[in-house]
Amino acid sequence: MNLLIKHKMRKIGKRGDTNILTGNIISIILYLAFIAILLVFLFSKTGSTAVLEEKYAKQIALMIDAAEPGMVIHLNMEDAINAAEKENFLAGEIVKITGNLVSVKLKEGKGYDYSFFNDVEANANFDTLTKKEYYFVISGK
Amino acid sequence: MSLTIKNKTGTEKMLSVYWFVILFIVAAAVVYMTASFYGKPYDVRQIEADLLTDKVAKCISQAGYLKEEVLKPQFKDGFPGSCSINFDVEDSYGTEEQYYIELILNDFSSKEKVLEANAGNSKLKSFCDLNGEKLPFCLKRSFYVIDKGNRQYQADILSIIRKTEKNAQ
Repeated sequence: MNLLIKHKMRKIGKRGDTNILTGNIISIILYLAFIAILLVFLFSKTGSTAVLEEKYAKQIALMIDAAEPGMVIHLNMEDAINAAEKENFLAGEIVKITGNLVSVKLKEGKGYDYSFFNDVEANANFDTLTKKEYYFVISGK
Repeated sequence: MSLTIKNKTGTEKMLSVYWFVILFIVAAAVVYMTASFYGKPYDVRQIEADLLTDKVAKCISQAGYLKEEVLKPQFKDGFPGSCSINFDVEDSYGTEEQYYIELILNDFSSKEKVLEANAGNSKLKSFCDLNGEKLPFCLKRSFYVIDKGNRQYQADILSIIRKTEKNAQ
């Protein structure tokens, strides 16, 4: 009788261990899935082309506002260039300056425009040597 | 013995449910904060107003001295072009002008107004006394300059940037 109880208990214990292990594995998988989804969401938001287009259009416009004729300004745009390459968009076509309007485009579409008030001639050039920079030549009108 | 095991499993299940609830709340908070932060445009109007003020200040003075051409009528007539400032903006704002700049030069001793030049949308001035994120940004700065004859002046510059559609939502 005693032996039977012991045998039953051992069986119950084993099944319990298996249940706990399975439960833990499922919990860990769920936690990891949850964190992965969260990270994917965060990276998609922070590195989205729309955010980068706005950031660089405004940054370049402010840079030109602060510039004086005769200056050449280099700007590292590695993240934007990488994002454009992922979208199969030419790196040399990212920044356009027309009149006093800066346009930044990282994929086919409208892109983002921002104006500057400094009445200078500004030209945007893609640095083909480093392939991660743009340089801006500022000259008087 | 069997009861104890059952209770343990029950407590663990309850705990994991709470864990998931807490995890869900944290995730929801992170998603909400990220969406609200990145959903809003970068507001660069303060920097823009600072730069516009600097541009006018540099245009009228050099090393603390008032530039001679500032007191000539051509300067006022050509303002803001005489300071290499262009207020053209993108079409998305419609026809409403997005900038206003005002320069007042007073004699420091007599308080007599020597020069008043302004350009842009003067209607924006009415928003300067109000508070609100979606209102135009106003910046007022004053500084002192002297001319070659050591006459002292106080220069007041008011810069206003609207551009609310692209900076505040």
